[in-house]
Order: sequence, then structure tokens, then C-alpha cells
Amino acid sequence: MEFITSSFYPTEILALIQYKFLRSNNKSKEISSWSERKKRCYQFLEMTSGSFSSIIMELEQEYRDLICMFYLVLRGMDTIEDDMTIPIDKKIPLLRTFHEKISQKDWIFTENGPNEKDRQLLMEFDVVIEEFLLLPKECQDIIIDITKRMGNGMADYIEKTSHDRYSIITIKEFDEYCHYVAGLVGIGINDLFNAVGAKVPSTSKNSKIIISMGLFLQKINIVRDFTEDLNENRKYWPKQIWTKYVEEIDELILPENKISSIYCLSEMILNTLLHVIECLDYLFTVKNGDILIFGFAAKPLIIAYATLALTFKNYNTFAVKNKVKIRKGEAAKLVLQCTDMYEVARLFKEYTKVILKKNNDSLDPNFMQINIACGQVNIQFL
Amino acid sequence: MVENYLIIGGDGFVGRWVVEMLIKRGETSITVFDIVQRYFDKEIKHYQGDLSNYDDISDCIEKENITAIIHTASPPHDGKSEGLFWEVNVEGTKNVIEACVKFGVKKLVYTSSSSVVYDGYSELINTDETAPYPEKHMNVYNETKAAGEKLVLEANGRNGLLTCALRPCGIFGPNDRQAIPGFIKVMEQGQTKFQIGNNENFVDWTYVENCAYAHILAVDKLSVENQTAGEAYFITNGTPVPFWDLCRLIWAQFNHYPPYILKFPSSFGFVIASLAELASYITGKEPGFTRFRVRFATTNRYFNINKARNRLGYEPLVDLEEGVKRACQPVLNSLNNN
Repeated sequence: MEFITSSFYPTEILALIQYKFLRSNNKSKEISSWSERKKRCYQFLEMTSGSFSSIIMELEQEYRDLICMFYLVLRGMDTIEDDMTIPIDKKIPLLRTFHEKISQKDWIFTENGPNEKDRQLLMEFDVVIEEFLLLPKECQDIIIDITKRMGNGMADYIEKTSHDRYSIITIKEFDEYCHYVAGLVGIGINDLFNAVGAKVPSTSKNSKIIISMGLFLQKINIVRDFTEDLNENRKYWPKQIWTKYVEEIDELILPENKISSIYCLSEMILNTLLHVIECLDYLFTVKNGDILIFGFAAKPLIIAYATLALTFKNYNTFAVKNKVKIRKGEAAKLVLQCTDMYEVARLFKEYTKVILKKNNDSLDPNFMQINIACGQVNIQFL
Repeated sequence: MVENYLIIGGDGFVGRWVVEMLIKRGETSITVFDIVQRYFDKEIKHYQGDLSNYDDISDCIEKENITAIIHTASPPHDGKSEGLFWEVNVEGTKNVIEACVKFGVKKLVYTSSSSVVYDGYSELINTDETAPYPEKHMNVYNETKAAGEKLVLEANGRNGLLTCALRPCGIFGPNDRQAIPGFIKVMEQGQTKFQIGNNENFVDWTYVENCAYAHILAVDKLSVENQTAGEAYFITNGTPVPFWDLCRLIWAQFNHYPPYILKFPSSFGFVIASLAELASYITGKEPGFTRFRVRFATTNRYFNINKARNRLGYEPLVDLEEGVKRACQPVLNSLNNN
């Protein structure tokens, strides 16, 4: 399947082949020495995280295990949060106490709905807990703290959702939601790296730009996944934005509202784009440290930025079936090229040009602000 | 200590904004020196005179016991008289400096231009104040602005005088007579569908209120106790944008949207411009389409304003999009009244 969608782009086929070969060849010896339990954890990582798994695999082993476990813990909690078949009065206490569960040996959760994609992870969560408890105590504490804050944030959001028809009204609330589900992840990752002596910037001094990393990655997913979320009655686009274009959020998918919907999409893209400057600030702070940590930070960013360029002005965002997603080959190509700041700069400039080329409708109320935001991205790389 | 302000060119575009901002913040001692009086505020003392006459400006400075001068006066850059550029920008500025030194003026802020570092050919990409003056300036206007700037910066420290030069770029705003009217003319002539170049070049602009604000900030900040004096500062909106997209934003204010875009490579534009200039040379008419304008529309020209941010505390007050809306408003008002 991956080869089919990339078949019209020969350099992407080559990148995909090279990528898969490098990936499997580099790690196979190390993996064979792992315990079965650890192997299972990394299988879950690959099953549940998509392209992020390969990015994690490129880290040194001592960092990799931390991030893998952190990811699986949060994915586990997210699998509860996402599951619309779990009654709210049961879900909220689960989220608020999830940070306690991850230290309880043998704890599992078997009540996800049959269609919840990552339910198997929770059905075998005892495996994750065993590996989590092998981490250094300081790292366990960091993960527990982030999980607690995130769980409470998610629970607060759900409580609000059950009272109000739209739970994200203002842009500020949108940022708060994204902070809980993603900004905290950036904080946690940076803290974990710090805890094991990696050369990364201080969390307390750089929390704003670290949080922006999470906000950017989360927002681009929310923008891209609009229709998929709407079909499952999840509404993350802030009312403060969409109410300028339509009266009800569902109306964004109506064909007669096509132009308004595209303008609304522009404003969501602009809101997301405004975080990029701070993300690049973070890259600049890590670029002279561990090369693998730099890659770990840069690769999700450039893939998200490419996704942003693809999503911008793309009416398929509102299509019922078509999912806006960059081709596997393009992602592989980006990952392989993300070797240093110079290459990252070149890639960012390339996608900025794509965005600017699409930004050609001066009737769009966001026309000039998108130009300005793109100008600011370009300036970072001079 | 109450500052006795003198705004040279205070009836001009930038100068008037400076005057109004000073009035608004409650300054009580404001004097305007200009060649023609256009505003008649009772709380402002007004001197009409010629900057190239030393006595005109020195009388004013002496009589009003001026302590701080903001020197915005300059002939428009598209003026035809090269002699006038030398008289006002160079000789006039010399006269200001001599009078400052003689009568103990403490501060002199000079409106320079970002074009003092422009040779007419090179790209200016995030250029900062370390960029040298070009060996050969693009034109006499730029040459004389640079000469005036040098005089001002070299005067720093003479008899306690503190100086600096501000370098705005593409100043525009309500009732401006150069930037907005030029774009409107293109619209009126039905030429908005043409695009020279690929629109990948970024250009900086300075909304007039931000420019005026920078001048007042500079007066406030100039001190022997910091590193602000004797320096030049780029002053822009800090938000470079693709050249043609700014044009389109301006036209959008008038509900004009080009039906389609015809794109020409810049090389083709240069050929046509050369022919147009040759034709104008033969006929004696002013060419509308020139190689300079082609280059203006197709090269990067933006500046790093971090020095102004760090030392003057400058941040643009009005963002570019809002500035465009405000700049077009007087024209829209006059259209609605007709």
C-alpha cells in the first residue's frame, strides 16, 4: 500500500526502501536480546504510534526506553479518554486516577468498546507497567506527574463537555486543551532527557517553547482530522473561530459552504502556524547537543509542517472519506533528510513556499496574516 | 525636566504624526519648523523657513530654547531636483547640527532611510545596521540621506549633543502621498492582473505611526548612560511579506480582486522596462515602467530590527494588516462621499 501511493514519486520509493532497510537492519541484533515483555512493549509502540515509533527507535537505548514507556502510558490513558462507549461517570475517575494505576502491578483494563483501536494495549497493560517500574525512580516520578496533570486536564474537559454543547469556545480554551493533551508531553520528554543527563535545555527556562512543540503537533492533527472527529461527535475547533464562517460547526462540511469552510480552515491553519516560531526556537536550543535528540525533535516537526502545508486550502479536509495525510514515502524522505539544522531549514523553507503558493486568495480574511507568519518562519533561518 | 521639542518637517507626513503623538501624551513645549505651514494648532509654535538658510533654523532653536530635535524634513524621494536633495538633506542638516552645537541642544533624532544601505541591485535579506554604505548609491536621494546620516552620527558628543538616525523602510499610512497612491494608480489603470517575478521576494514596510513612535522613543532613550547615541536603527513593522501580496491586500480594501494573474519572469520585465525608458527618453515623457520598479517588485528587501528592539525598546504599535486598512480609509471615505 505504501509503495502504491508513492509510486508516482521515484525518489520517495527509494527513500522508503532505504528507510525500511536501515530501520530493520540497525536494531535487529539489539532487539533479539530483549525480554519478551520488552519486545511486546515495543510492538505496542509500533502498533499504536505510527511513524513516531521509528523516530523513537533512533534514540540511544537509555533514552529510547524512557520515551517508549512514557508514550505507552499516555496512549493507554488516551485510549480511555477517546472511548465514547465508556460512560462519563466511569471515565472521569479513571482519568483522574490513571497515574496511580501505572504503579500497580498486574493492572489491566478490559472495558474498552470493541471498536476502540488501541484496546489491546490496555488489555495487556500489566506488561507496560512491569517495564515502567524498571525505569529509574526519578523518571517514574516524572511520568507519574505528567500523567496526573494530563488526566485531570482531560477529565476537566470531559466534565465541561457533558455540560456544554461546545466545550472549546475560545482560542484560549483551545490552547489550554492542547496544553493538557500535548503541551505537557513536551515538558515530560524534556524532563526525562534532563533526568538522565542528556544535553537538553532547562525545562523551567524554556517551558513556553517546549509547550509550543506539543501545541503545534496537536493542533495540526486536530485541524487535519476535522471530519473524522466530527463523525465521532468530537468537536475541537474553537467556536470563536468557526462561528465567523458558519452558524453551526457541522455546516462546515456542507458543499454550499465550501468557500467559508476553506476560509475557516485557513484560520485554523494560521492559529497552528503561529506556534512554529517557538518550535524552531526549541530546535535551535538543541541543535548543538545530542544529534539523535535533535533528530527526535526535528522529525515530528517537519512531518507536521508538511502536513500543515498539505492541509492548507485543502477542501478534502471536509470530505467524508478522504483523509488528508502525507504519503509514507514523503515522510520517509523527510525523516532521512532531517540530519542537521541546515537541512531542516531547507525543508522548512520548501514547505513555506508551498503554503505561500496556495495563499493566493486576497478575499480570504486570513490572507495577510498567513503571509506574515510565513515571513517570520523564513526569518528564523537566516 | 520638561523637554522643549522642535519637529523639523513637522507639517510633513511623518513629522505631523510625531507632533500629534507628542500632543497626545501631554507635552507642553512643541515647536514646528517647516517650509510651508499646513496645520494650525494653537498650542504649537510654528516657524516657517528654509532649512538651507542657517539663520532661519538657528533663530528658531535659540528663541525657543530647544532641548530636543526630531529632524524629519526631506524632499520626497521621487522628486526631480537633485540640487534640492543636497540643499535640504546635507546642507540643511549641517545647519541643524551647527545650531545644535552652538545653542546647547541635548538631543537630535534624524529621519534617515533604509535606502542608505541600498545600491540599487543587491538583495537586502534581514539586513542589520552592520551593513556598510554602498560604494555607489542608487540615486542622489539615497546618497544625500546617507550623507545627512553620517553628519548626524558624527556630531554625537559635540558640546553634549546626543544623536541617532532612524532608518524606516517603505513608510505608508493615511494621507501618504507616495506608497498608497502608487498602488491605487495601478488599480485605476487596470494593471492589477500583471505580476512580475514569482512573488517569492519578501519586502518590509513601516506604518507611519510606528515610525513616529520610534522617533519619540529615541528621544526618550538617548542618554550618556546607555548605548543608544551615535547609532543608526532600522525601523520597520518587523513583518516582511511577499511583495505582490501586499499589493493585493491594498486592492482588497477597495473590493478589487484581479480576475486572473498574468505572471512574467523578472528578466522579461527588465526588457520591457528598458524599452519603456528608451521611449521616454525619446519622447521626453516620464516613464511609468522602469527597471528600478521591476527590481523593486522582485527583490528581497527586509531588515533586522533587533537593535531597535533591544536598545530603544521599539515594537511596532500597529501591525501591517491593520496599517493597510487605516492607510486606505481616507481614500475610501472620499470615494464614498462622491
